[in-house]
Amino acid sequence: MQHVIQLGATALQIGAVYILFSLGLTLIFGVMRIVNFVHGHIFAIAALVVASLLPRLVEGGFAAPTAYVLASLAGIGAALGLGALIYFFGFRHFQRDLVGSFILSIGFVLMLDGVLLSLFGGSVRGVPEIFPGTLSVAGAQITMQRLFLCAVAFLMAAILYWALAHTKLGKALRAVAYDHEAAMMVGVPYGRIAFLGFLIASFLAALAGALLAPVTIVSPVIGTDYLIKGFIAVIIGGLGSVPGAILGSFFVACIETVGGYYLDSSYASIAIFTLVIVVLLFWPKGVLGRG
Amino acid sequence: MRSETSPLLKVEGLCRNFGGLMAVDTLDFDVHAGEIFGLIGPNGAGKSTTFNVISGFLPPSGGSVRFRGEVLPGGKAAAASRAGLVRTFQHGSYVRSMSVGDNIRLGTVSGTPRPERAGRVREVAALLGLSDKLGETAGTLPHGLQRLVSIAIAIAAQPKLLCLDEPLTGLNETEVGTVLKVLDGYRRAGDRAILLVEHNMKAVMTVCDRILVLHHGTFLATGTPTEIRGNDDVIHAYLGQAHAK
Amino acid sequence: MDNKRKTVLHWGLGGGAAILLSLVLTDPYLRSVLTLMAISALLAASLRFVMLMGELNFALAAFAGLGAYAAGYMNTALSVPFVLALPLAGLFTAVASALFGAITLRAKGPYFLLIGFTFTEAVRVVYSKIPALGGTSGMIGIYPPLSLDDWMAGIVVATSVILLLGLFAAERSDFGRILLAIRENENVARSVGVNTYLCKVIAMSCACFVAGVAGGLHAFVNTVISPGDFSYLLAAFALAYVKVGGENYFLGPIVGAVVLVALSHYAIGLGGSEHFLYGGAIIVAVLLMPSGILGAFGKVGPRSVETKVRAARHAV
Repeated sequence: MQHVIQLGATALQIGAVYILFSLGLTLIFGVMRIVNFVHGHIFAIAALVVASLLPRLVEGGFAAPTAYVLASLAGIGAALGLGALIYFFGFRHFQRDLVGSFILSIGFVLMLDGVLLSLFGGSVRGVPEIFPGTLSVAGAQITMQRLFLCAVAFLMAAILYWALAHTKLGKALRAVAYDHEAAMMVGVPYGRIAFLGFLIASFLAALAGALLAPVTIVSPVIGTDYLIKGFIAVIIGGLGSVPGAILGSFFVACIETVGGYYLDSSYASIAIFTLVIVVLLFWPKGVLGRG
Repeated sequence: MRSETSPLLKVEGLCRNFGGLMAVDTLDFDVHAGEIFGLIGPNGAGKSTTFNVISGFLPPSGGSVRFRGEVLPGGKAAAASRAGLVRTFQHGSYVRSMSVGDNIRLGTVSGTPRPERAGRVREVAALLGLSDKLGETAGTLPHGLQRLVSIAIAIAAQPKLLCLDEPLTGLNETEVGTVLKVLDGYRRAGDRAILLVEHNMKAVMTVCDRILVLHHGTFLATGTPTEIRGNDDVIHAYLGQAHAK
Repeated sequence: MDNKRKTVLHWGLGGGAAILLSLVLTDPYLRSVLTLMAISALLAASLRFVMLMGELNFALAAFAGLGAYAAGYMNTALSVPFVLALPLAGLFTAVASALFGAITLRAKGPYFLLIGFTFTEAVRVVYSKIPALGGTSGMIGIYPPLSLDDWMAGIVVATSVILLLGLFAAERSDFGRILLAIRENENVARSVGVNTYLCKVIAMSCACFVAGVAGGLHAFVNTVISPGDFSYLLAAFALAYVKVGGENYFLGPIVGAVVLVALSHYAIGLGGSEHFLYGGAIIVAVLLMPSGILGAFGKVGPRSVETKVRAARHAV
């Protein structure tokens, strides 16, 4: 029983990050119909800025939580700046061009690989503990840091879910995702909505990076692994579907946790891939994808 | 000419719904060899859906499509085409970046033996007056010629039933004349027929032997152009007073 | 007829010159650059072949890997001779990719692409878990026969020329026309009786046969392969070759491979980063010269409208 709870708690933690990550991917696909491979690097840049700034701020005399908030703001700011830059110089010209935008995003990925490596170096770095302590629930141990991560991630997912249904921007995003021509005809400013959608998605990735920085080992290539998992989550759930992304993220997280516990983590990634193939056999557009 | 021979196309009780919307509701009609059969109706009457179901691009929700005596498997476009039922699309069914000759050749790839393909392309091009355009890129041609390319591809596939979805939209008078002449000639050459969806009433009334009028997905009237022109229901639902006189 | 003769002449001259070059080069470094160019061109041409039907085959890296591992395993563990191992590796890859394609090509565009990406990463994990394939550290000792050692560059280039010729013939055939029709207007192809799904699987399989042989060549040239050689970056680099050379031209991937491989060797010599170079090349190509080097040289053919049409076509 204790195992089950511990595994469930771990799955929840991993799933929380995947949710943030895949929500962004699915949002960008829904609104712009592009597959954004740079998403992983937007995530990575936030994590890298936090990981390199935080120790310096702490050394400079800030209390750990304050330093963390400052570093996170800087990291998210940097990531959003990068996102805006990429949007304006690249994706803006390639909306709804799946192949063209993908090729461009691969160009950005390779280039940023080189940039991040020369800016931050290849070495991995650890980050001091921000929120010390662990919480014990029915025998399962959860560190406060991870609890914090989960709480923020779920809060963000909930806010996004609510905002898509109830705010003007959310409705515009959904309208564009559903039928962008019809949306434009009734006066939705497509260009601006697409840009905002892209920024929101980048924000989610950056937030995931900032949240993950204190609990994981950060390196310039950290994005790729999450990118793969995030894409698997949205393939399973259905590209463009918000509930699909959440469902898919939990699916991937559960398999990874359970598989990682009983076998080892690399078998888990094979299992996840097999699952994707099975899903595609029965639902070629993902479980919750629209036809 | 009707009823003695078995029909080329026999549609029985055809239904197609999208969720709660009944786009086509228990439709029956048949098309015989040698005729041009017009399918008309106001926008949203279910013409396109009927077309899509007959040509296998949409599976039917009910009913059957019998072609040359055999029931067509629903939703299998390539199979319908190989059986001899070839359609065009409203928004141009050709490949923009390919030359006119290559486009027409596409029509021959599944039914014509390789050595005969080049000859067939020239033949069809001549029929539609495209002989001197074979080397040009389809996407750069004027709109009217692009329409002709779409029709040429379909004709190159040598269909027994040629289904044309609004082939005359955007054509000028001369081009309409060319197409109508080609259609008339096509129908005469043996055991084949044409199913025509078209908004150009003048053309429909000129070229069709029989017409079926759809309204809200169901049968409204059928008959010769003269009969249709005089049918009060049709005038009321669709044609309007202008065409009735 | 005249055109046909011209094509044959071009192939004879181009292919002949490449093979000749590989035979007269004595400098081992230059030879290795040339073989790398040939293998890269093969991979890029394979990628472009699938692009003809409008799909991006990001599983290219996985299939090149399957070919390399198949060739390596046959050669080292089963003692299959080089001349047989190479085509068998291609066949093995072709069959595997047909199975993969049969499942994934039912899904369109983004799904196919992303599955390819995840497949690539999953297959690498599989290699690293199989001791018979050398696990994480890879497979060593994949040697061509000693007598052929001096001729390897020539063999690689000649094989590449033959396979490229095969892809060229397929592209210019009615099958190639069908692929183009599928990319731009799949309904047209279906309306004239073409089983488009089957055609896609066949195209995928043909392209991956080439990728498999390219992988096999890579294994024999390097004599060592490891899971790290076949990450998604291999497909990303191939994409760079296609894009920089000009995706609308058959010669595009070849020109792209030659130029970028040469540039990257030069850049690495100066201490530059390969990723940065390739990334920058892709971005410049996509934003500033969308029809690549060949397009920029003003080659205007019937294909030149494609780029204009493309934006509309790939809208999902």
